[in-house]
Amino acid sequence: MKQSVFYRIKRNKVYLLLLLPTLLYYLLFHYVPMFGIVVSFMDYNLFKGIWHSPWVGLKHYRMFLSNPDAWLIVRNTLLLGLYKFIFAFPAPIALAVLFYEMRWKKFRRFVQSVSYLPYFLSSVVLSSVMIMLLSPSTGWINKAIQSLGYEPINFLQRPEWFRTIYIASDIWQMTGYGTIIFLAALAAIDPQLYEAARMDGANRWKQTVHVTIPGIIPAIVIMFIMSISGIINIPFDKAFLIGNAGNMDTADIITTYVYRIGILGGGMSYATAINLSLGLVTMLLVYLTNAASRKVGETSLW
Amino acid sequence: MKSLKWTWAAAAAVALTVSGCSSNNNNEPAASSSSSADASASASAAQSGSPSASAALPEPAKLRIFTENNTAWPPKPDWGVWKWVKEETNIDVEQVLATGPESLALAVSSGDMPDVLSVFPNDVQKFGSQGAFEDLSKHMDKMPNVKAFLDSHPDVMSRVVSPNGEIYSIINDGAGEGSQMVWFYRDDIFKKNNLEVPKTWDELYTVSKKLKEIYPDSYPFLFRHGLSTLDTFGPSFDIYPEFYQDPADPTKMKFGLEDPNAKTMVEWLNKFVKEKLIPPDWLTMDYKAWTQFMSTNKAFVTVQFIGQIEIMNSQLTDGHLQFMAPPIGAGDKPYLPKGGQEGYGLAVASTSKNMDAAFRYLDYIFSEKGKDIQSWGKEGETYTVVDGKRKFNDNYKEANDLRVVSGIQTAATYGWFDFNAWLSLVKPEEQYAYVEAPKYRFPVAYSRPNLTADEAAALSTSNDQLWKFWTGEVTKFINGDRPLTEWDAFIKELGKHDLEKVRTTYQTALDRQLANTK
Repeated sequence: MKQSVFYRIKRNKVYLLLLLPTLLYYLLFHYVPMFGIVVSFMDYNLFKGIWHSPWVGLKHYRMFLSNPDAWLIVRNTLLLGLYKFIFAFPAPIALAVLFYEMRWKKFRRFVQSVSYLPYFLSSVVLSSVMIMLLSPSTGWINKAIQSLGYEPINFLQRPEWFRTIYIASDIWQMTGYGTIIFLAALAAIDPQLYEAARMDGANRWKQTVHVTIPGIIPAIVIMFIMSISGIINIPFDKAFLIGNAGNMDTADIITTYVYRIGILGGGMSYATAINLSLGLVTMLLVYLTNAASRKVGETSLW
Repeated sequence: MKSLKWTWAAAAAVALTVSGCSSNNNNEPAASSSSSADASASASAAQSGSPSASAALPEPAKLRIFTENNTAWPPKPDWGVWKWVKEETNIDVEQVLATGPESLALAVSSGDMPDVLSVFPNDVQKFGSQGAFEDLSKHMDKMPNVKAFLDSHPDVMSRVVSPNGEIYSIINDGAGEGSQMVWFYRDDIFKKNNLEVPKTWDELYTVSKKLKEIYPDSYPFLFRHGLSTLDTFGPSFDIYPEFYQDPADPTKMKFGLEDPNAKTMVEWLNKFVKEKLIPPDWLTMDYKAWTQFMSTNKAFVTVQFIGQIEIMNSQLTDGHLQFMAPPIGAGDKPYLPKGGQEGYGLAVASTSKNMDAAFRYLDYIFSEKGKDIQSWGKEGETYTVVDGKRKFNDNYKEANDLRVVSGIQTAATYGWFDFNAWLSLVKPEEQYAYVEAPKYRFPVAYSRPNLTADEAAALSTSNDQLWKFWTGEVTKFINGDRPLTEWDAFIKELGKHDLEKVRTTYQTALDRQLANTK
């Protein structure tokens, strides 16, 4: 018997209601603004608006591709995203497994709560803390380095340090919070599997490798596909705040460039064109990863 | 497995949304502050129905004015400046605050611009020609005082008039003296150690070396504006770093870094950094770090805004700062940038429904009477006349209190400022700097001629390219990451970053400006 749509909505209204805020968020802040991408094909006049600005076709895309800085900025973005992915993605998995294996529950709960805290710092606060700590004249980190007899390092003015600082602070801030999803996955593993493994003579390490990790593989794959898009979509704030003329060679990424040109410089069309091209690349990446994961394993986003 | 998979997908989606929401918070202050401004402005409107409003006043009006949001003088709806505006013009003002450098762009694109906006010349360049601001030159008949002001201030006139004759903003005048960068030093430390005040960069270097010997953990020479400080160092080497009108040939635009003196300047800075006479984090130093160095005897010569001399002196318990003539780096005359000009100006939104009130407001603040009231306040209320001289009430202890208490000399509250009001609160012993600084003005201002909309659009990415390249490379030269032997190569590389394109465009603009003023 096929139930009417109305009946199904009525029956699931609580769940639908739960979904509503998320849906609204995506609709308002991600789908509605998407129509703005038409300005990338116009000479957008901020004041005349979308309806009265002249169309110029692919002019802004050509402009970006012919800009000698473009390659550097794309490279910086990809490298930063890739390193972030390589170093920051496995960190919450490892930490979650460690939490899971910890037998002293009180201590575990304490450490877990503390590890969530940095997540709630805004990146503005985090960046000013870093600027203070890393200062070669007054910062504690450099004082420690000096007390060991080394020369202070000018962390924030050196392009070679930017990625390290960015990713290390990201791991420090995000890892604790990132464990939540994996801990939930770990909690769902059937305890009988551990009993069976012990019967077969598996030690703690073998149990981790053969029961724990396979148990959370679906969660890992889903998170993996989702973080692929993060390789290109790097948030603007931190890179902007710790970037300066000294480390610009590595710190200038697409979002900071778009901010300078688009919002400060008023080149909305040009900035939109850059963002749209990258959005397309990101979508392609996510699609390919998903397809690959569907081929290889049984888990995929869609 | 299938259902498990969906559970994960859902959990992940929720987590992403949560983090998405929190990262979105960054945009919120703009919205919330403007709504709080709404609330406070209606409160001020209720209060300011002043009895002195006589029948001669024009009919009441309301204006939304876009102003700065400075934490050193947090805007208040009950500031005296707004009350006086109401009393004189019968206009209720509601402040809309800028929360960041992008606020104006967002206000313009939102389609709901405040009626009157505080704008910088480059904002006008960007948005004026797009039609965001009203062409004020068409309305001069309604603003006789503005017209008279512009006629008597040809330098302001030349900065506000666009290549096609439009006037999209009126730049303020009068308070620029208070916002110039100057050199100052610890005269007590110099005296104590029998050191001569340096007159050249060579002497600055020697004296810094000596100070470093006496105070080994100090960085004798300190500045906190990173590379922008080159704008102040430049004139002592007879240049500005980027484009300006060449004083040797005023018909030509000059790019300062190409001048051999620029290399000398960078060489000096490199030497100072190498020998730790400048802190290694000179590029990223903030105001807090600067005050820390200055107040703990860790820096002795510095470059900062002129008002900081007095502010720091009141914080230094034993020690004293004094204005210092700029040291000569090249040429034979000591120079500071040509100061005295203001950056902020006022524009009227072309979408404003209260345009007549906006013109009335502009006309008032650029009138002699408006200048007097918006600079001094009113007799009996803010000042008394003693022996024929005006004296501010005792609740104004230092000049900055004018801003904090009454909003005097804050963006959009005046057009034409009487700087004597400010000076009257500067302690007599601190007035020396204000008297001395104008003696060292560089012959030309650090400004560029106005571009047409098309020219500006064509340069938007080139300017960024050139700026990014030179700031990055000059930083490397100063930090010693690139040897100065490669300076000539660097100058050649500028060409690859659109130097010629930018130069030609500004040269065209300058030629046009000169032809128009003939």
